[in-house]
Amino acid sequence: MNKPTTVVLGVIGADCHSVGNKILEMFFADKGYHVVNLGVMVSQEEFIHAALETDARAILVSSLYGHGEIDCQGLREGCREAGLDDMLLYVGGNLVVGKTPFETVERKFKAMGFDRVFGPHANLEEAVALLEDDLRRHAKSD
Amino acid sequence: MRNPTRLISIDIGSTHTKSALFELDGANGRLLARHAHPTTQEDLGRGAGDTLRALLGGRKDDSLERLRADTPVRLSSSAKGGLSIVAIGLVPELTLELARMAAMSAGGKVVGSYAYSLTQADMRAIETRAPDILLLAGGTDGGHTDCVLRNAARIAESSFSGPVLYAGNRAAADEVAALLRHKSLAVADNIMPAMRAVEIEPARQAIRRIFLERIVAGKGLARLAEQLGTQPQPTPLGVLRLVEAIPAHVPAWTDFCVVDLGGATTDFYSHAEPPVADERVVIKGVPEPHAKRTVEGDLGLRVSAPSVREEARELVATRLAEHRLDETALNRYMETIAAQPGHIAAGEPDETLDGILAEACVRMALERHAGRYEEAYTPQGKIFVQTGKDLRGVKRVIGSGGFLSVPANSHWLRRAFAAVGCPGRSGLPLVPEAPAFHADRAGLFPLLGNLADLWPEAAARLAVATLADADATAPGPPVDIATGQQGAHVP
Ligand code: B12
Repeated sequence: MNKPTTVVLGVIGADCHSVGNKILEMFFADKGYHVVNLGVMVSQEEFIHAALETDARAILVSSLYGHGEIDCQGLREGCREAGLDDMLLYVGGNLVVGKTPFETVERKFKAMGFDRVFGPHANLEEAVALLEDDLRRHAKSD
Repeated sequence: MRNPTRLISIDIGSTHTKSALFELDGANGRLLARHAHPTTQEDLGRGAGDTLRALLGGRKDDSLERLRADTPVRLSSSAKGGLSIVAIGLVPELTLELARMAAMSAGGKVVGSYAYSLTQADMRAIETRAPDILLLAGGTDGGHTDCVLRNAARIAESSFSGPVLYAGNRAAADEVAALLRHKSLAVADNIMPAMRAVEIEPARQAIRRIFLERIVAGKGLARLAEQLGTQPQPTPLGVLRLVEAIPAHVPAWTDFCVVDLGGATTDFYSHAEPPVADERVVIKGVPEPHAKRTVEGDLGLRVSAPSVREEARELVATRLAEHRLDETALNRYMETIAAQPGHIAAGEPDETLDGILAEACVRMALERHAGRYEEAYTPQGKIFVQTGKDLRGVKRVIGSGGFLSVPANSHWLRRAFAAVGCPGRSGLPLVPEAPAFHADRAGLFPLLGNLADLWPEAAARLAVATLADADATAPGPPVDIATGQQGAHVP
């Protein structure tokens, strides 16, 4: 019997948009994940602490209110500091203010150390398929 | 109809042993007699014999068994440093915080806290400190295992020979047990089975069992407990049970604090209902228990006075100036109390100096017990980010322990609660807004704490009835501390 993979979920920074967060929780739980949902207004530290205690394999960050770029800076470095070297970092939502092309946004967040970047109209089925893939790849390299 | 029960409660402190004879009749209780004598550390039985004779009568050569034949005895002790516990967790704000909470709510004193992996130096420090119990936690159930296993291995190869309580990730329990098979290991349910889920009760009960089975003997209590036909408990555990019993049995007595200020430590107890959910308030950190105890080993009026002065330098300086006292007066007093930890202030400036130290102790203990909040501005407006215990709804504060149980000293307690705000820490403390102040003037809280498990209602009602109301400006009709009836004499 395999234990379910744990993922930590939350909306980063001072962001209160809670609807998408609930949908993501239900979606990933339905796909068999153990979802540790930290809710809204989650600091980087809380993501890292929760991932540590629960032995999570991935952190799924949402940002809807436009300040994602500032809020997400340093999360990868924080994970490394805490010894979470293999942590998968996903981010999605309305990541920046205004009409920046998605490719630019994606490049920015990947440069910050995120493994996958999603927009507000992300297809969640595709997202979970990518997650399965990434987890398998990480497991092999262990 | 049931006959009233008479019973004796004894609390062995490091300097004094206090005791009382109570009569309980269902939900009602009466105090019949009190007694106090210096703790006879080398022979607890002798002191207990004197106590029983003082309360019950009896001949000098009667055995303890004979003296107490018709009167059950309840016993607590905080002698020999109380119950010392080292807490080990993974993340400081999560499993370590909960391990500390479990230790303190079991009546223990946390003498060391370690997060993440123990280093060799950490382990040496623990060996030297030789706590009564080592509490090892870390990881949610099915969560992180490496860290607790590393720490268990460290403990396994150490010379620490006392009891180890494992209350971490269940998935690692078997491996921890294998690693620690040569040690005295107990296993309790995980204190944080899931993220932010608090389950400290099983660990608290396990600590109680370890105290009885393993520690009582080392504290010289085993023989006495047997002679008295009772099982002792750590003093603070009883007081916390009393704090839990009061809101359940006394109308209008929810949301209160008890501060027990001693020579070496300051114990802070609170009972506070969680605040109503407000969407402008975001709560962070682990959920807080309704009834909570914290204990500060560096705050106290005698043994700990030097660290109080050090940590509350500014407050102490301000108060000295207000009372036209200078540092030399305090220096001289510090020498006196260092030489005689049992010193009782009589006259000025000693009484004022005690008051200043007491205010500093209470204020720092309150700051550490209470949570904090910060205002945050989001595009939507102002919100509050809150961590820790919210004491803003607390309506009453009870002073207990030598100095604070004297009603005339309540103004120091009031001052300590009036102007909180600790420089160097962000945010504002969640402290009581306009509480009323009371004094446990008969010093009954530890003694009634011994009754709170079996007779919670009578203990709770008697505890409240015997308080002195420190807010009364004119002295009202005196309250008979024996019965709680107004109009009777105060012994
Ligand atoms: C409802 C709403 C609010 C409500 C929120 C109530 C609540 N409790 O959630 C209120 C009125 C409070 C609000 C406030 C604000 N809002 Co608003 N809000 C919206 C609105 C209309 C809908 C959001 C929503 O619930 N969508 C439905 C859910 C299901 O979708 P979602 O949140 O996008 O999440 C999905 C995806 O993004 C994706 N996803 C998200 N994260 C992740 C992560 C991963 C890993 C993956 C794979 C996928 C993924 O999957 C989710 C589920 O399908 C949007 C506009 C819109 N149509 O999106 C604006 C919007 C998000 N809000 C906006 C703004 C600006 C604000 C305010 C700053 C406005 C203000 N000045 O008051 C404040 C911010 C308050 C704060 N501190 O957070 C802007 C953000 C602009 C930007 N980013 O550039 C938007 C886009 C409106 C706009 N077009 O201007 N808002």
